[in-house]
Amino acid sequence: MIQLTNIWKKFGEKQVHNGVNLEVRDNETLVIIGRSGGGKSVLLKMIIGLIKPDSGSIMVDGKEVASLTYKQLQRLRFKFGFLFQGAALFDSMTVGQNIELALRRHTDYKDADITERVKFALRLVKLENVEHLMPSNISGGMKKRVGLARAIALTPKYMLYDEPTTGLDVETADGINLLINELKTTLGVTSIVVTHDIHSAFVVGDRFAIFENGQFIMTGTKDDIRNSPNPEVRKYIESDIQT
Amino acid sequence: MTETTPESTLLSRTGELFFRPGKTILTFFEHLGRYMSTIGWMIYNFRNAKEYSGNIIQQMVMIGNNSIPIVLFVSMFVGMVTAVQSSYQLYAWIPRSVVGALVTKSVLLELTPLLTALVLAGKVGATITAELGTMRVTEQIDALEALAFDPISFLITPRVLAGVLMFPILVVFGDLVAILGGMFGASAIAGIPVEAFVDGMKSSFETWDAIFGIIKATVFGFIITSVSCYQGFQVQGGSEGVGKATMNTVVLACLSVVVMDFILASVLL
Repeated sequence: MIQLTNIWKKFGEKQVHNGVNLEVRDNETLVIIGRSGGGKSVLLKMIIGLIKPDSGSIMVDGKEVASLTYKQLQRLRFKFGFLFQGAALFDSMTVGQNIELALRRHTDYKDADITERVKFALRLVKLENVEHLMPSNISGGMKKRVGLARAIALTPKYMLYDEPTTGLDVETADGINLLINELKTTLGVTSIVVTHDIHSAFVVGDRFAIFENGQFIMTGTKDDIRNSPNPEVRKYIESDIQT
Repeated sequence: MTETTPESTLLSRTGELFFRPGKTILTFFEHLGRYMSTIGWMIYNFRNAKEYSGNIIQQMVMIGNNSIPIVLFVSMFVGMVTAVQSSYQLYAWIPRSVVGALVTKSVLLELTPLLTALVLAGKVGATITAELGTMRVTEQIDALEALAFDPISFLITPRVLAGVLMFPILVVFGDLVAILGGMFGASAIAGIPVEAFVDGMKSSFETWDAIFGIIKATVFGFIITSVSCYQGFQVQGGSEGVGKATMNTVVLACLSVVVMDFILASVLL
């Protein structure tokens, strides 16, 4: 379980988080919905210790992230797969090298096992025979899939998705949404999805948290969100109806 | 609303006059602290370097092999111009062999290490900062950390180690070519016989001069690669941030090299 309690964070003069509280239960997909640039992605980075909050507590499986030593933090990160907004593939490496990098560094697998593991991860994201391609030679949707394959290569317990469908056409975005659901079923991962796309949110999410002005103004199921009278929540629902 | 009077404007300008340099000094020490902390982390985790041997070799090729043509080209002309200018400045009654001595001393002690460093601050330094800066803004460095990698050991250590190892080798090649260039310039342009040049070279050559040049190259290699890596890691924003950091790298690396050149000469000579 992941628990964020009273998180405060300021960048320069801008107060981004004003006492954020959030609980992510095991085996659920929680979707964080909010406007772009509001600080949602920063929350994901805080959970794996890439950014430190100014104050507040982040607990992962009962461990306080801020109090971990560097080695312990590294071990904690093995539990997470992170799909970055732009996929963040290492552009000097091939697709295959991107996926096998962590396997070579953190496991004792032999070459044949690593090759098999890379193929397995690629099959899960519906890609085949692309190991030799460079990231610059593949499409945006494929980059996201490769990013996903890289994230699941070490079979994480938690998946963090940062705007998984941003910048993709509707068909490709739907494909990514289906993959997120499939990975949940296949790997049994607990997922946090950050998005401003309410349509995608409703496809993948079990529970939803609306992030506005540095706080979660509402947390609930699809029906709770749809029936909310709160105008700040309604604006997201209405944007979905319009699309 | 606050009323703006000539007095308040003067007051705010006076305040700014003191505030701005103070802020600049604070920012300088903030960066110096972060730079030292990065270097400290790199040294502390140096034992992990063998795990990234592939990266080190790749960087040695990038920094060393790919820089050979430009270093040799610059060194050749530095040697030639030193020979021609030395010959021009000498009185007629001074033996011509002195040109060989002057070229050898100048090239080994100062010209090749310094000019190689300045050229490579532009070529290698800018490349490293642009590369790491792009990795920073496209979240590739965050991705490395998310995959439980130490980005300093993975990205900075191989580059700094490659710089420290390859700069001295480049300078040795540069020294040889500069002396050959000097010999060619002296004989072809200034009309000094090769034998006289070689006599001067032999009479003035001291092993310490060459070692001193190699020590300087090692230090310059460290400064240029570490400053450029640090700048790349600190990039904020998009492509504009990468461009600004790249420019800062070239300026900072060049300034640091000339200051360190003076310090090393004062201490070691």
